[in-house]
Amino acid sequence: MNDNVLPPWTDQARSVLDESARALDAATLSRLNRARQAALAQRAPRRRAAWVFLPAGLAGACALLLAVGVWHGRRAPTAIPAQAALAASASGNAVNAGDLDMIASGDDMEMMQDLDFYAWLDVQDQDNNG
Amino acid sequence: MTHTIALTAPAIWNPARVDAENTGERTLDQFLKSVERRALRMAELATGNRDEALDLVQDAMFGFARHYAAKPAADWAPLFYRVLDSRLNDWHRRRNVRSRWLGVWTRNDDDDEHDEIAQAPDTNDPGPLLRLAGNEAAHALDAALGNLPLRQRQAFLLRVWEGFDVAATASTMRCSEGSVKTHLSRALAALRRALEDHA
Repeated sequence: MNDNVLPPWTDQARSVLDESARALDAATLSRLNRARQAALAQRAPRRRAAWVFLPAGLAGACALLLAVGVWHGRRAPTAIPAQAALAASASGNAVNAGDLDMIASGDDMEMMQDLDFYAWLDVQDQDNNG
Repeated sequence: MTHTIALTAPAIWNPARVDAENTGERTLDQFLKSVERRALRMAELATGNRDEALDLVQDAMFGFARHYAAKPAADWAPLFYRVLDSRLNDWHRRRNVRSRWLGVWTRNDDDDEHDEIAQAPDTNDPGPLLRLAGNEAAHALDAALGNLPLRQRQAFLLRVWEGFDVAATASTMRCSEGSVKTHLSRALAALRRALEDHA
């Protein structure tokens, strides 16, 4: 038998099989349709991956810039407070400037956060003045 | 809410036309639409169960869309059937393991038990299906195909139904061309015998 020549009765077998594929019921076709759509949909996120990561990348870059700024401030404590105070006074937000001074001064942050110590200091001042 | 489902046969897949057009989502959709019914019937003949067949076809669609959709459209059909063939083989292996544990053997899937090449049919004979009419022919062919070993059935369906040549069938089934010829020859002989018994 020639490798690529099939017996004639296989033509009829092909017709019978074609007919069986055409005769699939509506419920089955609907499930096939859903399967196809799902297969196509699972490809879509891959293509959009770059767009998904863009905001995350921007946020990361901002965080890095902020971290570099803070680190630089701690390295040059005399320069930053003056600049920060100037900027704060220009914007009228003296509280934020004070915060920036505190962050950039390089002093012991734990001590600054010790509210009991400040409360005690306040009481001492009042006693001395009174 | 009403659903409209096209009950007509899908358009025939023509990769030569696609290469000149864009190979986007729509083209992939058209391709999958053109093969899904035959793929389902192929899987159904292998599993004997429509639900399992639908799951296998969906798996094949996912695998194909994920790994091969970027390939040239002309290669899609053999690649899709390669994925489906792989899923069918996996299913077949799992079923064999299950059967072994349960001690139930429902089919004789040993391709090498009999050498039926000598019994290959006469190509000029009109064949056994002509003696069967309409639904009877469909049922007889379904039953005969369902009783074939997996590799023989795949060789028959890819060569006869999909119209792949021997080389493409071998590539899809990941075996040698010689194996395809052997599987096909045995499938033709077994089908002929089964259909003649039915007639």
